[in-house]
Amino acid sequence: MNSAVLKKTMYWFVVPALTMYLVFWIYPILRLFQYSFSDYNGFIQNFNYIGFDNFSQIFKDGVAGTSLSNTLIYTLVFVVFSNLIALGLAFLLNMKIRATGLYRTAAYVPTLFSAIVVGFIWSYVYMPDSGLIATVLSWFGVDGASLNLLGNYSSALYAITAVDVWKHIGTSTVIFLAGLQTVPVDLEEAGRIDGASSWQVTRFIRLPLLATSMTINVTLSLINGLKAFDYSFIMTNGGPGRATSTLLFEIFRMAFREMQYGKASALAVVSFIVIIAITIFFVLRLNKREVSA
Amino acid sequence: MNGGIAKKTLTHIGISFVLLLNILPLLIALSSSFRSVSNMTNPLQLFSEFSLESYRVAFDKMHFMQALGNSLMLTVISVVVVVLFTSMAAYPIARINNRLSKALYLFFLCGLVVPSQMVIIPIVQTIQGLHIPSSQYTPILMFITCSIPFSSFLYTGFIKSSIPIEVEESALIDGAGLMRRFWQIVFPLLLPVTVSVVITQGVWIWNDYFFNMIFISRAAESPLPLAMLGFMGDQTNPTAWNVLFAACFLCALPLLVMFAFLQKYFIGGLTVGSVKG
Repeated sequence: MNSAVLKKTMYWFVVPALTMYLVFWIYPILRLFQYSFSDYNGFIQNFNYIGFDNFSQIFKDGVAGTSLSNTLIYTLVFVVFSNLIALGLAFLLNMKIRATGLYRTAAYVPTLFSAIVVGFIWSYVYMPDSGLIATVLSWFGVDGASLNLLGNYSSALYAITAVDVWKHIGTSTVIFLAGLQTVPVDLEEAGRIDGASSWQVTRFIRLPLLATSMTINVTLSLINGLKAFDYSFIMTNGGPGRATSTLLFEIFRMAFREMQYGKASALAVVSFIVIIAITIFFVLRLNKREVSA
Repeated sequence: MNGGIAKKTLTHIGISFVLLLNILPLLIALSSSFRSVSNMTNPLQLFSEFSLESYRVAFDKMHFMQALGNSLMLTVISVVVVVLFTSMAAYPIARINNRLSKALYLFFLCGLVVPSQMVIIPIVQTIQGLHIPSSQYTPILMFITCSIPFSSFLYTGFIKSSIPIEVEESALIDGAGLMRRFWQIVFPLLLPVTVSVVITQGVWIWNDYFFNMIFISRAAESPLPLAMLGFMGDQTNPTAWNVLFAACFLCALPLLVMFAFLQKYFIGGLTVGSVKG
């Protein structure tokens, strides 16, 4: 307390936000743990505690394993591709050429659409027979009718991940671009004078200075990937079989379609632990690597 | 110098190709939305017909004006409350440098990681337990709550880095109390973050269908994304595509118009918190 401005009474300002956060976010998370040990179904209020039965059940029937591996594959593909493509686009858009504003707009527009609209439009893109991909393939004499990306076990998960990548690229690109624009021009010049090729300037000057934007983008895409729900819900309904059922989709399905609140809560607790562990691991690692100009 | 021009042209062609590929699904959907049902056989012939018939059908089917009003109401109320609550919360956290502030900062930040779908069961139970009726206004509670972590993170960072305490000290000497100092001196200086919060949170709240789907059951209370759920199933039926795509663009139109006029704030707002000063 160095300044007369600072008074403990200032903490009253936290109360409204903190109250909402505690009541509608933290308290429900704690209740989740309670429900996960019960046979609660949402209707009968006096439920029984059944120990770890819910947990052993979701692991035994494979629901937890399948949705966990689907979510992890989704997240990995999403983080890698959305950041690589966005990074490439940002480098292109950062060149000193005309109309970058127009290009940036074209890259950004998909992020404005609601997931539900995006899901509908991409369902058309993937449709066998008359969809976009099938039609284009038929021009080249390839029979598109048999290509059912969303209906195929091995491709459905990647197909919905691609949709999310498409919607997310604009955001990451804009963040990378802002990062690139903070790279001091004289640093790049100095590199060139010292005889660095443009690849070396990119590799040894631009990329290290992009570390902050990289941390932000990887963290955001990681969180986004682990939250995967929308396109399983809108485009595939978790199918075919359980091929696209992510953790959150499976929790939603168990809770609101099968009314198994206890089991759904157990899966939510599992997701909670996985998500927290992965996020903490990455945030700690990435923060270590940052350098500043 | 000729090499330079050739290189630039190549770059332009490259970028245009990538971005055209990027917005191709949107272009085709837009062009299909202007067609009549009889003309749906080859959607790739872009803009061969301009009929607004499907827009009329979609407009009526989704009760556009009503849904638009509901969307506006939900988004405006939520965003205003988020701005007030989180700017206030960030103020002491950023100003007072002690353990409590650090703990509060991290505590709010944790919320970023937990997805709402995961906690939805106990959230519904909590809201019922508090005897809050499930109505058009219930999603607002969750929109505000879910926006708290990111918004307070942005505000805290900005106050720490860009609002020197000296601006308040002179006001204190003039006898300004805590309330006046915050609302008349600090809050107006927070404008860049406020723009960023309004845009980042406004866009997700506007586009969200999940909380609306959980809490709103009456069609008359549906905002735009929830009205879109009424078209579920049409995406696999080529004869329904023109109306479906018209509905898609009607749903996206308000944000696209906003973006056209406020583009600089949309792009800038995204990066306020992301570039360290």
